[in-house]
Amino acid sequence: MSGLYNSIRRELRQLGSRRLYLWAMVLVPVGMALFFVSLLSEGLPERVPTAIVDLDNSSLSHRVSRSLNSQQNVAVTMNLDSYHDAMRKIQEGEIFGFFYIPRNFEEDALNGTGTTITYYTNMTYFVPGTLAYKAFKSMAVMASGGIVQTQLTGMGVPEEVAGVVLQPVVIDAHGLHNPWLNYSIYLSNSFIPCLLELMIMLVTAWSICHEIKTGGSVQWLACADGSMLKAVVAKLLPQTVVFLAVSLFMQVLLFRYCHFPLNGSWSAMLLAGFLFVIACQSFGVILASAVPNLRLALSVCSLIGILAFSVAGFSFPVEKMYGAIGIFSYVLPIRYYFLIYIDQALNGVGFYYSRVYYAALLVFPLVAAVMTLNLKRFCQRPVYIR
Amino acid sequence: MTGPLRYMARWVSEVAHVWKRELRLMFTDIGIILFFFVLPLAYPLVYTLIYNPEVVNDIAVAVVDNSRTSQSRDLVRQLDATPAIDVVGYASSLSEAKRWHAEKRCYGVLVIPESYARNLGRGEQSTVEFYSDMSLLIRFRSFLSALTDVQLATGAKIRSELMASAGVSGSMGGGAPISNQAFFLGDTEQGFASFVIPGILVLILQQSLILGVTMLAGTSTERSLRNGGTDPLEVPAGITATAVGKTLAYLVTYIPMAVYALHYVPMIFSLPHIGSMTQYLPFILPMFIASSFLGMIIARLMVREREMAFMVVVFTSVVFLFLSGLTWPRYAMSPFWYWVGNCIPAVWGVEGFIRINSNGADLSAVSHPYLMMWLQCVVYFVIYWALMKWTRRRQVVAAVSQKDISATELPSETV
Repeated sequence: MSGLYNSIRRELRQLGSRRLYLWAMVLVPVGMALFFVSLLSEGLPERVPTAIVDLDNSSLSHRVSRSLNSQQNVAVTMNLDSYHDAMRKIQEGEIFGFFYIPRNFEEDALNGTGTTITYYTNMTYFVPGTLAYKAFKSMAVMASGGIVQTQLTGMGVPEEVAGVVLQPVVIDAHGLHNPWLNYSIYLSNSFIPCLLELMIMLVTAWSICHEIKTGGSVQWLACADGSMLKAVVAKLLPQTVVFLAVSLFMQVLLFRYCHFPLNGSWSAMLLAGFLFVIACQSFGVILASAVPNLRLALSVCSLIGILAFSVAGFSFPVEKMYGAIGIFSYVLPIRYYFLIYIDQALNGVGFYYSRVYYAALLVFPLVAAVMTLNLKRFCQRPVYIR
Repeated sequence: MTGPLRYMARWVSEVAHVWKRELRLMFTDIGIILFFFVLPLAYPLVYTLIYNPEVVNDIAVAVVDNSRTSQSRDLVRQLDATPAIDVVGYASSLSEAKRWHAEKRCYGVLVIPESYARNLGRGEQSTVEFYSDMSLLIRFRSFLSALTDVQLATGAKIRSELMASAGVSGSMGGGAPISNQAFFLGDTEQGFASFVIPGILVLILQQSLILGVTMLAGTSTERSLRNGGTDPLEVPAGITATAVGKTLAYLVTYIPMAVYALHYVPMIFSLPHIGSMTQYLPFILPMFIASSFLGMIIARLMVREREMAFMVVVFTSVVFLFLSGLTWPRYAMSPFWYWVGNCIPAVWGVEGFIRINSNGADLSAVSHPYLMMWLQCVVYFVIYWALMKWTRRRQVVAAVSQKDISATELPSETV
């Protein structure tokens, strides 16, 4: 027991000795959490800059332009004279789409010849492109409907009936627990913990492999009575406390301060946060034990930690990735934390449905404990290979 | 030779010496080879493979059909026929559908009311409810466009039936007086890889370069700390010659890398690639130069040890990805974050490259990002120069006052 106590004291001295630890364990994760929350505070980037190309200049086309501008998703910032001008503005990035009203629009629409509204959206930027598309499409359908309705009522069809004829079936789409389509709810809840995972892995690998690089590993092991497991636990325990505090800060920031959906219980998420931090540390231990060389271990941690943002399936679903790639998401602690978040916070579906994910997070420390056997060899004979 | 000319010649030879030494350091260090070669070669492939399925189709949907009529089944068939939706089964009740959702057996639930067919028969409007899981917005997005299409198609079909039975003839039955047509620019198939990869490619180039530069500088600092304050492998040269020579050395690998990442990768995976190489290669050049200077500044301020490059630089990839406006458009950022983004070379690089590569813009259309990156080159160079001037003077002062150069260290320990 005294070995553990002495080792922890040694680690606390180390943590205090370098500003690097304060930077990587507290400043970066906390700063990044605040960065995301602040950057995405608007929720949905409304008022997409768009343009109208109106070649008709009739009272009908003016009415369409006006109602397009009153749509909340888009802002018509320009009136342009030709398709080419509009394309140029797209290339210059000043607009994300444009609405094109052809010549003789009013005449053709009213006399039954028929006419076509076209709209162009720049899909190289998904969010504004999609928002502009939605606004354009509903505008075009509305314009068409308005004319039919006028014609029908002119033919003596009662107004209520005319409305039904226009749209006999309405499919009402509801976004469960995020009806506002808030991007911050969706991005902050995945990217912030994923960043914490990256920093935990880096700090864990750093603190273990730095001992080997500097040759301090012999003393480190001796301090823990020669038990590798004890040495690793003693090294990581003070860090666990710090990371748990950071993780708690993140959850309070998201669920309390930002009022993001927490439809399950606090205890389920706190437990998830606790297991997640331990799992990330364990993952760091696993990688550091597999390649106990500071540079290589940090390379592997960075590689995996950064790819995790994509492979864990925050934006593109894992089940639609190629199987050989999607399978890697299940070696990442963040994948399980993310799934727990969806069940326990976003959807609030009951602990039972997430039981497997909690169990999976518990596997990481077990594997790490086994992997430390490999580490001992290197700690006894520290050789630093550049 | 006259004075200025001799000075120039000496400067050029200094640059050449620095360039040669830096190249040797680059090619003899496994860590640097990883950043400068393996990373920009492998990462574009890995990322594209992750997102290459492009679209999210056949998303599982459960149906709660309280109408149980041929009309309601017809609606379900139409939904099932859309690429986005795969109807996995009929749930007997909403609570059963909810359980399916909790078990992740479906991501959407369609609830058809009991009155669905009756309302249609009476000529009244029928409302159908659809509930979408919101864990991934891309699913909701796919659902939404499928639902809109089905709603319009079903509407048109029922309308023509209604009109025929009401005895209204004419053009309004089938075709509307105003039809509409959507065109998608840049990413015409609306694929995920096609949208995200062009930006990621630029970001990978910048980040691998900055990582390499900071690691080289950190290694040099480590060497000099072991050698009493001077790096034995450093070529004696002026600040400007050092910065220019090193940057030229990085360009030796980064210009071919740019051709690979910006030309061949989009080609291999048939991503949008309508821009001309004569436009995007000159465009991306200032990004490399500015990133090189930025990397040297970061290293001077924060990286005291070879491996600290990881702790200082890696996480910034996520920050820069967001500041570039790829996921969250720049026009919607607060002035503060917009301004921070202005300082990052890749933010302009991503924006300009996407427009050239996917929208077919030429250099004149992206002149603003282009000039901003050249401005960054100037500003970052001046900052680097001032920083080096300051640290070199401090070294000299310290050396003179202590009369013992071995006790002198490079700038104060920052991290």
